[in-house]
Amino acid sequence: MSTPRIERLKAALFEAKREISLERALLYTESHKQTEGEHTLVRRALATAHILDNVEISIRPDELIAGNRTVKPRAGIMSPEMDPYWLDKELDTFETRPQDKFFISEDDKKIYREQLLPYWSKRSMKDFINAQFPEEIKEATRHKIFSVNQTDKGQGHIIIDFDRLLGNGLGTLLDELKVLSAKNSENDFYKAVVILLEASIRHIRRYEALARKMADDCDDKARAEELLKIASISAKIVTEKPEDFYEAVQLFWFMNVILQYESNASSLSLGRFDQYMLPFYRASLANGEDPALLKEYLESLWIKTNDVVLLRSTGSAKFFAGFPTGYTILLGGLTETGRSAVNELSLLCLDAYQSIRLPQPNLGVRVNELIDREFLRKTTETIRMGTGIPQIFNDEVVVPAFLNRGVSLEDARDYSVVGCVELSIPGKTYGLHDIAMFNLLKVMELVLDRNKDNAEITFEQLLEEIRQDIRHYVKLMAEGSNICDIGHRDWAPVPLLSSFISDCIENGKDITYGGARYNFSGVQGIGIANLSDSLAALKQFVFEEKRATFKEFIDVLESNFDGERGEQIRARLMNRYDKYGNDIDGVDTYGADILRFYCKEVEQYTNPRGGVFTPGSYTVSAHVPLGAVVGATPDGRLKGEQLADGGLSPMLGKDHKGPTAVLKSVSKLDNYLLSNGSLLNVKFTPSTLEGEQGLTKLGDFLRAFMKLKLQHIQFNVLNAETLRDAQKRPEDFAGLVVRVAGYSAFFVELSKEIQDDIIRRTAHEL
Amino acid sequence: MTSSEERPMSCNPNRCHDAAVEGTPPPSTGRVFNIQRYSLNDGEGIRTVVFFKGCPLRCPWCSNPESRSSKQQIIRREAKCRHCAVCSNDVNECPTGALELVGTDMTLDELMAEIERDEVFYRSSGGGVTLSGGEVLTQAPFALELLKRLKRLGYNTAIETTGHGNTTLLLELGQFCDEVLYDFKIMDSKVAKDVVGINLQRCLDNFRQLVDQGTHVVPRIPLIPGYTMSFENIDAILDFLSAFDLQEVHLLPFHQFGANKYEIFGMDYEFKDVPVPTDTEIEAIRRRVEARGYTVNIGG
Repeated sequence: MSTPRIERLKAALFEAKREISLERALLYTESHKQTEGEHTLVRRALATAHILDNVEISIRPDELIAGNRTVKPRAGIMSPEMDPYWLDKELDTFETRPQDKFFISEDDKKIYREQLLPYWSKRSMKDFINAQFPEEIKEATRHKIFSVNQTDKGQGHIIIDFDRLLGNGLGTLLDELKVLSAKNSENDFYKAVVILLEASIRHIRRYEALARKMADDCDDKARAEELLKIASISAKIVTEKPEDFYEAVQLFWFMNVILQYESNASSLSLGRFDQYMLPFYRASLANGEDPALLKEYLESLWIKTNDVVLLRSTGSAKFFAGFPTGYTILLGGLTETGRSAVNELSLLCLDAYQSIRLPQPNLGVRVNELIDREFLRKTTETIRMGTGIPQIFNDEVVVPAFLNRGVSLEDARDYSVVGCVELSIPGKTYGLHDIAMFNLLKVMELVLDRNKDNAEITFEQLLEEIRQDIRHYVKLMAEGSNICDIGHRDWAPVPLLSSFISDCIENGKDITYGGARYNFSGVQGIGIANLSDSLAALKQFVFEEKRATFKEFIDVLESNFDGERGEQIRARLMNRYDKYGNDIDGVDTYGADILRFYCKEVEQYTNPRGGVFTPGSYTVSAHVPLGAVVGATPDGRLKGEQLADGGLSPMLGKDHKGPTAVLKSVSKLDNYLLSNGSLLNVKFTPSTLEGEQGLTKLGDFLRAFMKLKLQHIQFNVLNAETLRDAQKRPEDFAGLVVRVAGYSAFFVELSKEIQDDIIRRTAHEL
Repeated sequence: MTSSEERPMSCNPNRCHDAAVEGTPPPSTGRVFNIQRYSLNDGEGIRTVVFFKGCPLRCPWCSNPESRSSKQQIIRREAKCRHCAVCSNDVNECPTGALELVGTDMTLDELMAEIERDEVFYRSSGGGVTLSGGEVLTQAPFALELLKRLKRLGYNTAIETTGHGNTTLLLELGQFCDEVLYDFKIMDSKVAKDVVGINLQRCLDNFRQLVDQGTHVVPRIPLIPGYTMSFENIDAILDFLSAFDLQEVHLLPFHQFGANKYEIFGMDYEFKDVPVPTDTEIEAIRRRVEARGYTVNIGG
């Protein structure tokens, strides 16, 4: 039930094809050339300020909320200062690559190659990281035993302190920083923040001027009034703090766009929108503003969050398909004092989603023992729409998980999510939540291969060697992550962003220098389902039933189950041994033990910012590329075939006892240790959820999920037939939103491979 | 008993045969052909349904033909079979599991362990355990022991039955159930006898005694085209029910989900081409039942 304006705004997003805009890269570079000799913090601030002062701005038809990162909708922007090389290599394939296509003109390609590439070659963050990585780490990443992420773009994965922004306003913040900067004139961080706050104010003033000019030129009186309203709000909020919902939303969105110029990173996420926006929403209601209009502002904002897309490398797009920008929001949850935090805005956020149904913002709901029935019902009703939104997080396990990492009780209760499912304390954490992924199945493969000719090998020895290898490679992964950490400090500090993260101002330090209160590095252990299944099958087939010697068995794997015997063995491996996801203790325990071991190894390492490494287990879409590098495995998986999706989900098609058994299997993992986040996909077909009873039973299912102390669950509610139709006739399904992993995307914009994967995931209809 | 069930062991496609094991389960075990978790349509909340093997009736529309014989049977699922050059003819050796033993003898402890697995889901949803079949009355002594143990631990319990069996046993089972889902099929006693082999009078008597002893009984009517769906038959059921103070009636529209099982078991399936009831037909019956003051639940 959206207004015609909302429908038009939504349609306009997808009218033009996505392009790449060089504007940010050119302006950044232009400034950088003139600031030689300044401290990196200041150089970076000046470059960002130069963008804010000169980037072309626009207010599109019908818009009530101003602020566009690019003039054209959904355009990608570049940050060659991070890694100019992948951009160069991929310039000619952006338009034709299988995932996340972008158009770039021949003229722009030429500009890139003649101006940007030569300047940034040998000067970029990537050059630093490559030079620092020892050969052993390069070797391990080449074999995809682990990957180190964000070596080619900003870190992102952070939530600013929106209370600080909205509760003070830019004027007050600038005054505060000017005083601090004057008192500490040698502090480059304060200096940089002042430059950026001033530039932010100028940037918003440009919108004020633009809105006034457009109003002058506008014949439509009603539209002219809207533009004048945008102008007056913009003029007010550059100095004063916002006082109602419209003003708060406008300042909120301007700052999100501005931070995008500074970082060009995935997942500058939005935190607990229903908490920090509530006072403004209530103020507007108290002023007598029309709730329908407030809903239109909210829906306008929701549409805005779909305008910012991230230009990823082809490799990265495989891991994170469908342009997840990570405007993630969690609703509900707990207050500082441990009461239910659900309020009228929590419900309205879901309502607005139901009307517009776009993949961003990526809404999630926090559940706990105190959750209110009306909100739970609205949550299940939204899930039933079948777009995978909202995803569900469990306070009963996440809060203790943070306490175990030294986070205060009040901060732990305030947790939210960055990116897809990465757990973070808003406004207080620089968590490098997506810094690395660890391929547990690849480690098993290395151990099996290495022992092929060892006739004496026992199952227990193999397990022990897997543990030793995990230990070895986790150490290397931490080392690699720390090099990347330093790279971001020395090449890409983010002073404006940092000024909204406690305790950077008090500490006088950028987040990349360790200014934040909480300083984690989050690393994901992947492949637990395939590993559990493989160990169970290997143990029985070779060591108990002795159907082949270990060497013969490895030969069969190396042949990729070639020939009649190979196929017969594969059939047995797939069908006759217990599989993770069916609530069978034996096989589930292998996964639980190894994942726990991985977690305990990870948490021993520290990063240069004085924080600890924290383990997670989610793949986003990385189960496809990480599977591509692993040969045939004892669970019957073919060479190169994908791994189980999600992170904690069972291997596709192997969970034949239904969703309760899946949840039980996952509950045997020590989910409290996965403090960086985990991901479980469960697919339901719509008929399971029909009627009032269907909603109630889904709500009950979520309560059971909560009691089982699982951390995360998300649902795809659709049937395979619908999706096959969508593959055949993408034009008829342009708006079909599905959940890929920690986020939703347009189905028709996903590669065929990932579409097929979604179709194959077990449909639970019993 | 259909003739195909008497076949000797063979590896013909789509044929089943009895395993070379005893026909009657020992009293310390129950013979179960399926345990279905996350069941949403067989009573309150999220439930686990235990399907007992063996049924005295022969409803031609039955969607669980594997439930009929009380014997263990070996079947071969064509869809899973990889047609090995030489078939081992051994359930344990079949690599894909296409050869399958239908019917597992389980002790009370084993069954309790399976049921307890979804305890947290029952607790969150007000669900529990439903004993179904086949006809649970064919294994009443074992079922009774199971229900007693479940009730002692506070589980919500239900049985699904046609009531075609020993009255004393049925009443005793009823005492340990929160709910008895009681099937009504064909109300013409001759047709009932001829088509499904049911003793209608005994079923109706059993129903009456079950309600009279205070058991919560929910009548369920499978909507079977050509057999139970006529207004005449529905009215006969409703007339019978009018003597009792009941609130709820379940309507279970005929479906074809069981069709391929007949093929697997090498059994004839008379309902192969019977179309499922239309929404309009179902609605008409719903209104008819509601007109008598009942709450109607379609599909359970």
